[in-house]
Amino acid sequence: MNEITLIVNGTPHRTRVSDSALLLDVLREQAGCTSVREGCGVGACGACTVLVGETSVSSCLALATRYDGANITTAEGLDENDDVVSAFADCGAAQCGYCIPGFVLMTRELLAEHPRPTSEQITEHLEGNICRCGTYPEIRTAVSTAAERRSPR
Amino acid sequence: MMSTVDNPMVYGGGTAIQILIKQGILFADNFVDLAGIPGLTEITADAAGLRAGPMVTARGMETDDRVRRVAPLASTAYRHVANPRVRNTASIGGNLAHGDYRLDPPPALLALDATVEATSVRGTRSLPVRQFFVDFQQTALAPDELVTAVRIPAQPTGSAYRFVKYSSLSANDWPCASVAVLIAGREVHIGLGALAPVPRYASFDATGMTDQAAVDAALEVIAPLLDPIPDVRGSVRYKRRLAQVIVEDAVRGAWKDLDNA
Ligand SMILES: Cc1cc2nc3c(=O)[nH]c(=O)nc-3n(C[C@H](O)[C@H](O)[C@H](O)COP(=O)(O)OP(=O)(O)OC[C@H]3O[C@@H](n4cnc5c(N)ncnc54)[C@H](O)[C@@H]3O)c2cc1C
Ligand code: FES
Ligand code: FES
Repeated sequence: MNEITLIVNGTPHRTRVSDSALLLDVLREQAGCTSVREGCGVGACGACTVLVGETSVSSCLALATRYDGANITTAEGLDENDDVVSAFADCGAAQCGYCIPGFVLMTRELLAEHPRPTSEQITEHLEGNICRCGTYPEIRTAVSTAAERRSPR
Repeated sequence: MMSTVDNPMVYGGGTAIQILIKQGILFADNFVDLAGIPGLTEITADAAGLRAGPMVTARGMETDDRVRRVAPLASTAYRHVANPRVRNTASIGGNLAHGDYRLDPPPALLALDATVEATSVRGTRSLPVRQFFVDFQQTALAPDELVTAVRIPAQPTGSAYRFVKYSSLSANDWPCASVAVLIAGREVHIGLGALAPVPRYASFDATGMTDQAAVDAALEVIAPLLDPIPDVRGSVRYKRRLAQVIVEDAVRGAWKDLDNA
C-alpha cells in the first residue's frame, strides 16, 4: 500500500492505494468523483478522461501512484456557468450523458491549445471519444459555441 | 537496478502494459517506473538531427516545433498513434519496446534510419532501428536493457516524405496497413507497418526514374517483404492488395512534392 495525495478539483485527498490501483477507481471510490466513468477500459472511448494539469489522461490506464501530488480536474470541478459546460447544456449535447464529462474535458484541452479550432481540429482532438447515443452533431456545435463564448471574434 | 530485481518490467507510459494486465496476458510484479527518473523526457536538436529521451510522449513528438522542423516524417507518424489522450501518456521508448508489428511510428523510424540507444549495466549501445525488430513482438533489446534515447537524423533539404495509414474498422483504429516513404537524394526509403509480423524496410535508387517507374520499382522491392497476418482488420489477400495501393499512394505523393520543390 502507498499513501498518496491527489489534488482533486483543488481539494487535497490523502488516500491509501495499492501498487496496482487505477486512477479511475481511486477517483470514483475514494474521491467520490462519479463523473469519471469506465466505458471501454482500454483508452479508446474517453469516458474516463480527467485533466492532469491541463493535459487529458485516460484514467482507466493510469496507475494512481504515479499521480501523487498531481492537480486533477474532473467534471465535478467545473462550474455550471463554465463556458464549455454551458455550451454543452445549451446545445443539447447530452442524451444519456454518460460520455459527456469526457467530451467536456477534452474540449477544455482543445480550446487551451486552439482557442478557435477548425472543424478538422475538433474532429482530430475528439476522435478518441465515443458517444453511444450518437449526439456527435450536437457535440460539435457545442465545441464551436464554447470557442465562440470563450474568445468572441 | 534492472539486474538486481527478479523478473523486472520497465513501466513507460503504461498504456500497453495496463491493457495486457486487464487481458490477463501479463503477470509482472516488479515494475521499474521510468517516470521518477529525471532527464528522460528531453528532446535536443542539432545539425545532425534529434535525440529524444524514452519518456518523451507520442504527443510531444507530434507537437514539438523542433521535431516538426527537423524530422516532419517522424512527427507525422506519431500523430497517427491512437488518439490525443493516449498520445499524452504513451512514451516513445514504450512504443518501440512494445514491438508490435502494427505500430505507426516504426515505419517512419525505419525510413529515417533512426537509432535506438539501449542501456544496461554493461553500458550503452546503439541499435539501428533497421535491426531492432527481430521477430513477432520481439525486439533486439536484452531483458535488462532500457531504451534510453531515440536518435533521428535530420531530413535532408530537398527531400520529400509521406506517411499514409489505412484503417479498416474506424478512423483512429490501429492500421491495417501503414507506410512511410522518404525520398532523399535519389534514394527512396520505405518503411512498412502491419503488413508482416515485424515492421519492414526496403529502399532503392531512383536515379533517372519517372514517377511511374518509381512506383513500379517500389512495388517490386516491397513484394518479398509482405507477409500479412490475417485478423479482424483484413485477410491476407486484402492486406496484400492494400499494401500495393498504400505504397503507390505514398510514393506518388512524395514524388509530387519533390517535383514541386
Ligand atoms: C486505445 C489505443 C489505441 C492505440 N492505437 C494505436 C495506433 O493506432 N497506432 C500505434 O502505433 N499505436 C497504437 N496504440 C499503442 C500505443 O502506441 C502503445 O500502447 C504505446 O506506444 C506504448 O507506450 P507506453 O509508454 O505506454 O508503453 P508501456 O505500456 O509502458 O510499455 C510497453 C512495453 O515496453 C516496455 N518499455 C517501456 N518503456 C521502455 C523503455 N524505455 N525501455 C525498455 N522497455 C520499455 C515495457 O516493459 C512494455 O513491455 C494504441 C493504444 C491504445 C491504448
Ligand atoms: S474507459 Fe478509459 S478510455 Fe474508455
Ligand atoms: S450522450 Fe449517451 S453516450 Fe453520449
